[in-house]
Amino acid sequence: MKQTIRVTVNGRVYQEDVEPRILLAHFLRETIGLTGTHIGCVVGECGACSVLFDGKVVKSCLHFAVQADGREVTTIEGLAKDGELHPVQEAFVKNYAFQCGYCTPGMVMTSHALLQNNPNPSEAEIRKALAGNLCMCTGYVQIVDAVKEAAAMQKNRE
Amino acid sequence: MPEKFVGAKSRSKEGPRHVTGRGLYTDDFTLPGMLQAMILRSPHAHAKILSVDTSDALKNPDVMAVVTPDEVKRLTKPFKPGRYAAGLKRPIDEYAGAIEKVRYVGEPLGALAARTRGAAEDALELIQVDYEPLRPVVDVREAIKASSAILFDELGTNLAWQGSLQYGDIDAAFKSADRVVKENLKIHRYSSTPLEPFVVIASFDAASKRLTVWVTAQVPEVIYDGVREALGLQDVRVIIPDVGGGFGQKIHLIRKYVVLISLLAMKTGRPVKWIEDRSEHMMAGGHACAQEFEAEAAVKNDGTVLGLRFDEYDDVGGSISTLTIHFTNKLNNLSNTYRTPAIHMIGNAVVTNKCPVIPNRGIGKPGMCYIWERMMDRVAQELNLSPIEVRRKNLIQPNEMPYRTISGNVYDSGDYPGLLSTLLEKIDYDKLREEQKKGRGQGKLMGIGIVIGVEPGGRNAARDMAIFPEMKEPPGSGGINGATIKLEKNGTLSLHLGSPNCGQAHETTTAQVAAEVLGTTPDQISTSIPFDSDLSPWGVAAANSGNNFHLYDIGAIHGAATRLREKVLQLAGHVLSTDPKELTIENGVVHVPGSAAKKVTFAELGRIAYNNQHLIPDGMDAGLQATYYYMFPHAKPNIVPGADRMVRAQFTFSAGAHAAIVEVDKTTGMVEVKRYLIVGDNGTVINPDVVNGQVYGSAAHGIAVALGEGFMYSPEGQPLTITYLDYGKCSTA
Repeated sequence: MKQTIRVTVNGRVYQEDVEPRILLAHFLRETIGLTGTHIGCVVGECGACSVLFDGKVVKSCLHFAVQADGREVTTIEGLAKDGELHPVQEAFVKNYAFQCGYCTPGMVMTSHALLQNNPNPSEAEIRKALAGNLCMCTGYVQIVDAVKEAAAMQKNRE
Repeated sequence: MPEKFVGAKSRSKEGPRHVTGRGLYTDDFTLPGMLQAMILRSPHAHAKILSVDTSDALKNPDVMAVVTPDEVKRLTKPFKPGRYAAGLKRPIDEYAGAIEKVRYVGEPLGALAARTRGAAEDALELIQVDYEPLRPVVDVREAIKASSAILFDELGTNLAWQGSLQYGDIDAAFKSADRVVKENLKIHRYSSTPLEPFVVIASFDAASKRLTVWVTAQVPEVIYDGVREALGLQDVRVIIPDVGGGFGQKIHLIRKYVVLISLLAMKTGRPVKWIEDRSEHMMAGGHACAQEFEAEAAVKNDGTVLGLRFDEYDDVGGSISTLTIHFTNKLNNLSNTYRTPAIHMIGNAVVTNKCPVIPNRGIGKPGMCYIWERMMDRVAQELNLSPIEVRRKNLIQPNEMPYRTISGNVYDSGDYPGLLSTLLEKIDYDKLREEQKKGRGQGKLMGIGIVIGVEPGGRNAARDMAIFPEMKEPPGSGGINGATIKLEKNGTLSLHLGSPNCGQAHETTTAQVAAEVLGTTPDQISTSIPFDSDLSPWGVAAANSGNNFHLYDIGAIHGAATRLREKVLQLAGHVLSTDPKELTIENGVVHVPGSAAKKVTFAELGRIAYNNQHLIPDGMDAGLQATYYYMFPHAKPNIVPGADRMVRAQFTFSAGAHAAIVEVDKTTGMVEVKRYLIVGDNGTVINPDVVNGQVYGSAAHGIAVALGEGFMYSPEGQPLTITYLDYGKCSTA
């Protein structure tokens, strides 16, 4: 039995009928076609599907779509404005903070959430914040470097 | 010509799409009418399949088709035995799914397609399979006892292959030794577990008998050949979009799933997508082989290693298709960085009721390096010498380059003593040893590990003939790899490669090389993703590990760009009425030196080349496009082994030395890595950020494996590590 939900995703309202068992991650990818949110484990261990949920970073595979009714979700597609990369995105590109790119949307969203709450994190704080986002390619060195640089870039902007 | 782009920082070409979520992976594609598939898998480690009843599942109106073991047997052919099954006493048919028996938990035996993933998951539960459980075979040493249950009745033993190879006079080495140092070494099962699991989409056009597959695979030819053979089709198109990590995982096993999903597409007449879930991948997506080595080194009292012997036991799991892959790959770095004049390698490939083994980040090479470096430390311990001194004593010297190893590998250059010295200097080795000594007095356990190794590149499949003398024809040799480059009508350039990109920055680095050759800038070049077998060039070496890319793909791109440059100059020379030899190219503009007005841009040439026949010089091969197939020009001699079994297992040899400084918690045994330093001799680096990333990533994985991540099984053969948490994947924390 489907339920009707209204979810604001990246500033736009979507009204959709969904099965209660549909996960938010699948809703984003398959129902409204935002495939930037990746799925690596579907059990909340890898963080590839991280999105902002009412401003807080969550793993979208651990939420049902129906739980997002009336809520605001920001996905990786919602960060860049008019083709201009967000500072966190730019820092990831500059630092080669990705290889295959599969974990990258989740890494970027989690880093963005961290910097919103803590604009000047130490390396230990960065590592703690990213501990729920797995990357199989990089060994994390360039990712941590990118978050540091993103913090500096955002500071310079202010 | 000074290099502008090769070796310089260059903006990533893959980055912008990855950071905005615009990468396109197989799971991101949706086709009209597409169904969703699930794979039917064995819950038993070892069992006979008695019957499969799909009637309840088929009652669900959303279920469109089911494929059973009987149908797999009836509708497909077994895969041709690959080169890693060479040496089997008798051939064993391996189909895309289990037919009469299952040999590991998670082994696929069928598949189901439904209108939604949810319906497919529900219906899968309704398939009734009757099994007769058999005794599981889990431990390698038990597996080879006469009392063990047998996986493959055709073989009559679980010791599926045994062989040996000897270089130099090993008996003389052991006879003349002052001492023999022995050690038992083990490597457990692990994998790089790519974050994107296996994904396949298959679409079959019954009227024209054309099958199109989209798949997250590393080697197009394995899919192309495997699917055509298994399904008896001629017309197969393989499309490989962005790949979310490969590491070797996505070479062999994935072809089984392509065949099963293609069968569903053929039965239903509709496109079918299958996405593996994480636990399926952990139990059945392929593991690096557990290897055990009984190693012994014949040594002089001064630390000289006269000979090395190792008896290897490989736990290859429940398939014969990659039986000897971890053993044969040891020929690649058999001598590592050492002069030791005699080596005797003995291989035992044992089948067990575990996940089949696959190549993973270096295959047998990490094992070979481990044997050498651990034995060097053991020799030092027994002789009461410094581990550095023992290594130095045995290192190949720079003045011996080019150096031919005892098995026939040719090291063209390298300064191994220099690498080691640089490493020791950078970590301040002597001071560390003092600190360690002081710490011991205060109860602090600090460990210092120093290793050195070669990293071979550029494969040569003919290598295997050295190990299987019964092989009459090489299963391939060297590498032949293509690339195509085209100057577009607007003056930009597009490249088509023979290798898919699984995160090694193919687009960025190839653009740097092509820009260098053509006199343009990397931002003017785009590299075509996906790989498409209809359009892309082939390459036997499109195996996609970084150690083939640097040689074969880069060689092909360099060749194609060089050919295109000649064509560009030929056309420009005609347009500018100047001898092409006098022209120069800068930033995409062809100039006549000394004459500022006489120039023509790539964009102008693009418009002429495809549109204006009267401006094309007589005799010019029309079109500004070039394809080049590269072969390594120095592959001879020993590209194929002779009677002495000398063979070039690989063609290029970079080297690195690593230092690990760790602290061990006395009460818990917990190891903490305090510092880790890598010094590498990487040859010509095209993009330093990319190379650093590859080195960081593989070192981090190696450390994680050494310190505990890995697959475990219960004594009944049930996998215990089917999530990232159980497996112990390393994070930033």
